Amino acid sequence: MHKIWAVMRREFLEKVRTRAFVIGTVLFPVLMVGLTVLPILLDRRETEPKRVAVVDGASGDVGMKVTEALAASRREGTNGAARYSVVRVPARERVEGVRDSLIAITGVHKDGVEGLDGILVLTDESVDGGRIPYLGVNVGSMADMRKLETELQTTLRQERLRRAGIDVFTGMKASRSVDVVTSKVTAGKLTGESGATSFMLAYVMGFILYFAMLLYGVQVMNSVMEEKTNRIAEVLASSVTPFQMMLGKVVGVGGVGLLQLGIWGSTAMLVTTYRAPLARLFGASPDALTAVKLPSVRPDLLAVFLIYFVLGFLLYAAAYAAVAAMCNSQQEAQQANTPVTLCIVAGFMAMFALLNEPSGSLARTLSMIPILAPFVVPVRYSLAPIPIAELLLSMALTFGGMLLVVWIAGRIYRVGILMYGKRPKLSEIWRWVRS
Amino acid sequence: MYQNAIELDGISKRFAGHTAVRKLSLTVPRGGIYGLLGPNGAGKSTTIRMILSIILPDEGRVTLFGGEPASRGLSERIGYLPEERGLYPRMLVAEQLTFLGEAKGLPRKRARALSAQWLARLGIADWGNKKVQDLSKGMQQKVQFIGSLLHEPELVLLDEPFSGLDPVNSQVMRDVVVEIARAGRTVLFSTHIMEQAEKMCDRIAIIARGEKVVDGRLADIRSEAGGRHVALSFHRNQEGAARVLADRALVHRVDDYGASAEAELAEGAASDELLRALVNADVGISRFEVVEPSLQSIFIAKVGADAASAPATEDMAHA
Repeated sequence: MHKIWAVMRREFLEKVRTRAFVIGTVLFPVLMVGLTVLPILLDRRETEPKRVAVVDGASGDVGMKVTEALAASRREGTNGAARYSVVRVPARERVEGVRDSLIAITGVHKDGVEGLDGILVLTDESVDGGRIPYLGVNVGSMADMRKLETELQTTLRQERLRRAGIDVFTGMKASRSVDVVTSKVTAGKLTGESGATSFMLAYVMGFILYFAMLLYGVQVMNSVMEEKTNRIAEVLASSVTPFQMMLGKVVGVGGVGLLQLGIWGSTAMLVTTYRAPLARLFGASPDALTAVKLPSVRPDLLAVFLIYFVLGFLLYAAAYAAVAAMCNSQQEAQQANTPVTLCIVAGFMAMFALLNEPSGSLARTLSMIPILAPFVVPVRYSLAPIPIAELLLSMALTFGGMLLVVWIAGRIYRVGILMYGKRPKLSEIWRWVRS
Repeated sequence: MYQNAIELDGISKRFAGHTAVRKLSLTVPRGGIYGLLGPNGAGKSTTIRMILSIILPDEGRVTLFGGEPASRGLSERIGYLPEERGLYPRMLVAEQLTFLGEAKGLPRKRARALSAQWLARLGIADWGNKKVQDLSKGMQQKVQFIGSLLHEPELVLLDEPFSGLDPVNSQVMRDVVVEIARAGRTVLFSTHIMEQAEKMCDRIAIIARGEKVVDGRLADIRSEAGGRHVALSFHRNQEGAARVLADRALVHRVDDYGASAEAELAEGAASDELLRALVNADVGISRFEVVEPSLQSIFIAKVGADAASAPATEDMAHA
């Protein structure tokens, strides 16, 4: 026991001390904070209003109204900075000519004179049809276009109501859209989460599982490969059994994985808890950040997640260790691990398959397949309740599958780790497993 | 106290396609230095691995320490230096050694203290904080050597311990080996360099192609090999010398090492007859001595020149 402990501790400490671990552990939270704060900072910096020309070829005062509405539009998160600087160009009968001459100065910055960012073309036809041409440099920006659409929609809807002789206030009230407001109920209790947040939680969890299996599985593989190519395996094999060696590797790297995930997880918690002060620190308005309600992770969900994480990690790490034991070089192992990696990708895909119907028969079947269950079950559990009997059966099957894979991997490892030369054929590997 | 440190009873090991060791029986008594000799590919490393239970024999039995069946459970009493160096390249030397000690069951503190002692003893105390990958091959060999002795094993198995070492470092390690043997512990080492074994071992076994050729006390093997041997050197007229040595009435067999040779006299021939013939051939004799047969010569006689000489000379170049 003392020896296995020594093997595990060495693996853990050596991994934690590597530059890759330190950089990875620090970089990820920095990236997370960056991704939260950067958009605000960038948005704030962009205080220059967009220069828009409204080519007004429509009858009545629609052009005027649109121009006023755009000019009144304010940028969020700032102290009333204008979003647009608008010029109305009256162009009855000459719409196309005016438009073309304006195109010539759009997106041109010359001799200190700045050109237009975009041209909005209003005609009776476009106002009635609700399809308004906008020609500009920023048409690729989804956010810009959505803002513009919202402004136009409100203004034009009021204009149409007026033309139809309907009181604007009554009309707007009548045409208000309908949303289903979701609240998740779990085990007879209101969780206070909306459907969107619970979906987000499932998605994030699935991604972490996929990412962690792949990342730490490959670390186990590389670590075994190092021991084999540097012939340390032989020295160790004279002291501990190959199975203990493999176990030490897997548990050591697993510990590193849990530590790293723990650090990342708690950083994410801190960042989201203190996002309002954080936003203020960067001079942004906190409202933009706190608008979304974050999902809370229930203890039972966390337990299911951890159980399946451990089961899945043991299964896949053992498989990766066996792959490394049969190979002679890093390059060889990179190719030979494809079947294992494909299983992990299949698990990731399976999660998407069940997002729409987390309690359907497909989801129930996938939960019983040991190589897929570690991905499928936690995601399912976060979306909809799973009957306790079904959950226990899935855990038992996954546990059994894990034991089988570890046993087979141990047999392959035992022979492979001391074998050099050409890569064994499948028939030979089968013989190692049976002997 | 037990009498025999190692007993091999008819052990065999087959790998896909060939037999590495065939029905090998050996007895290594406790205390002293035992040499396992043989050309490359003779099965020396496979035999050592079976003694360590790293691999298991297909047939036969290995017993250690006076009758205990070999198993990994005994590993704490055995030290092992593998032929290929096995160290983590990115680990610090001191930590590496501490880990190797722990893997042999030493408590962490004790392992750390012992490794510092050993580093100091081999004169590389200030290397403890270097990474293994920054050391020369010879230095790594020293570190590995310490790793195999840290837990004070009563049986030490060294697979080709002196290959690739310069004479100074080689001597340092040889002194340690001799000291261990004097203390009543057992050292078994394998080599294909006969001169080394000749200087250090009290007992040897020669194996070739997986089978034992001869084993026993070195002195007994020498006297048993019998025959009268003459060691000679000359510095001119190679052709004349070759003609004399080819005379089967005088010389039964000759091992020509180039500048020197070892000749076994033919039955009925006297050494002075050979000397007279050589003087007449005017070869410029610088040495002519009646000797006991050298291990090299016994080895060649038993195994055959082609099996023995090629790898030996190749490696002696960098010894």
